Amino acid sequence: MLEMLSYDFMQRSLVAAALVGAVCSVIGVFVVLRGLAFVGAGTAHAAFAGVTLAYLLGLPPLPLAVIFGLATVWVTGVMEEKGQMKLDVSIGILYTATMALAILFIGLMKGYNAEVYGYLFGSVLSVTPEELRAILALSFLVLGVLLVFSKELYFIAFDQEMAEASGVPARRIFYLLLTLVALTVVVSLKTVGAILVFAMVLIPASTAYQLTHSLFHMTAYAVSIGIVCAVGGVLLSYVWDLPSGPAIVLLATTLFFLSVLVSPKRLRRAPAV
Amino acid sequence: MAKTIIHFSHATFGFPGVIALKDVSLEIAEGEFVGVIGPNGSGKTTLCRAILGLMRPLEGSLQIFDCACEELRCHHRARIGYLPQKGALDRNFPITVLEAVMMGRYGALGLFRRPTKQDREIALEALSNVGMQDHRNAALGLLSGGQQQRVFIARALAQQPQVLLLDEPTTGIDITTQHSVLDLIRRLHRDLGLTVLLITHDINMIRSLVDRLVLLKTRLFAAGPPEEVLRPDLLSQVYGKDLVITEKDLVIVEDYHH
Ligand SMILES: Nc1ncnc2c1ncn2[C@@H]1O[C@H](COP(=O)(O)OP(=O)(O)OP(=O)(O)O)[C@@H](O)[C@H]1O
Ligand SMILES: [Mg+2]
Repeated sequence: MLEMLSYDFMQRSLVAAALVGAVCSVIGVFVVLRGLAFVGAGTAHAAFAGVTLAYLLGLPPLPLAVIFGLATVWVTGVMEEKGQMKLDVSIGILYTATMALAILFIGLMKGYNAEVYGYLFGSVLSVTPEELRAILALSFLVLGVLLVFSKELYFIAFDQEMAEASGVPARRIFYLLLTLVALTVVVSLKTVGAILVFAMVLIPASTAYQLTHSLFHMTAYAVSIGIVCAVGGVLLSYVWDLPSGPAIVLLATTLFFLSVLVSPKRLRRAPAV
Repeated sequence: MAKTIIHFSHATFGFPGVIALKDVSLEIAEGEFVGVIGPNGSGKTTLCRAILGLMRPLEGSLQIFDCACEELRCHHRARIGYLPQKGALDRNFPITVLEAVMMGRYGALGLFRRPTKQDREIALEALSNVGMQDHRNAALGLLSGGQQQRVFIARALAQQPQVLLLDEPTTGIDITTQHSVLDLIRRLHRDLGLTVLLITHDINMIRSLVDRLVLLKTRLFAAGPPEEVLRPDLLSQVYGKDLVITEKDLVIVEDYHH
């Protein structure tokens, strides 16, 4: 059993999974608290559209994924600020439009391209050393920025207008958060895939949300859960020869439902009167 | 005469399709205690938001600390403590009382600086000022509405502000806490020379407290010492009913005659 840890590809995928688990779950805390869940899902599909365009044009996929991701979150941010349309409606439109683009680009490609599907469904076991380096760099960038601006990010998640009123540059921090969401999605695209990446952002944070009444504890729990699920999912997928993305996400989902069962927030409502 | 720190000059504020404040001219001096009254929708909350620089004037101008309100910077806002009008709070939001009060320090700290032990002490003192120190590790969402209100007052105080804007601070607070909160505000005003702007519907409570009263209904109807503003003719113009002031109380005339 332990011998699998001696394979290079296994080491790479475990490191990649742990990083993605950590980055996704920390950003997830702010996404869940600030109510941006749907935004992230839309971004994942936009980033995937970027990847398909890159393959169509024969360009490197990462930069285009970043550009598509950022464009989507920024447009979303402007729409939320203007508040003229319900956010879920405008995201719903963007989300399906980018998915349509992705399908269009795939249709324009000659023949079947397995690599493209790798970005859709994720394939952590095939992460190359260069990809791992990119994941490493982006992860540290995202985690570093989150750490530096954590107090402002918590504040806007709690109450953006109050944050603005008490002297925090709340709008800029909000756009920073959106930018980090886009980068996180791109970092995770190769490992868990466009369809499942958002589960990695939402589930560990929502699981932690069930378990505590403190911001600090919620973050700590979310990161632990994120890393455990990502690494655990990779090991399961190796041992039982399962696709890695679903293994990670279903493991996280199981933990989520367990946490709902033991949640103190749920118990609080239980006693009648 | 103390320095003017808030200066409305023929200022108009509004939202798309709504004028909330029209042609308001008002000067508030450093260290003044001003009460703001007016019926629902008269622009009281808008007045606060304007002072915080969250709105641009449609006409006229508003200066705060000698800075046009639309150019107000973060370090200016950090000097203004704000208690928003009570709104809905997500009861499941995971935050403790102390974590919420510490947020009052963030603006003053600025970017890149972490809260220190001293910030923590300031937050704890603010909590004890509103009598909530024993709840510091409690979940904010599990407190009663009035207790949450006290926590938010503590957050405004934790900013160690120069100006305090309180939007209906005593709404939903029990009577003894109301007194202690008002006592605290009076003390801060007197001892620290804080400039206070207090919005309320409780005219009886406020008139013994403030230097000046402002009577709003989109326009500024009157501003001056309470006895000048609480004139039956002015009040009936604004509230649309005849009001009279008795020895202690303010009552609607119809009820008074019964
Ligand atoms: N976010 C908003 N968008 C559009 N119109 C608004 C908004 N906030 C307030 N208004 C309008 O501005 C006017 C003044 O509102 P404001 O909240 O300042 O009144 P108020 O005096 O604080 O009332 P209350 O006593 O009910 O708190 C109202 O006509 C209201 O409809
Ligand atoms: Mg109001």
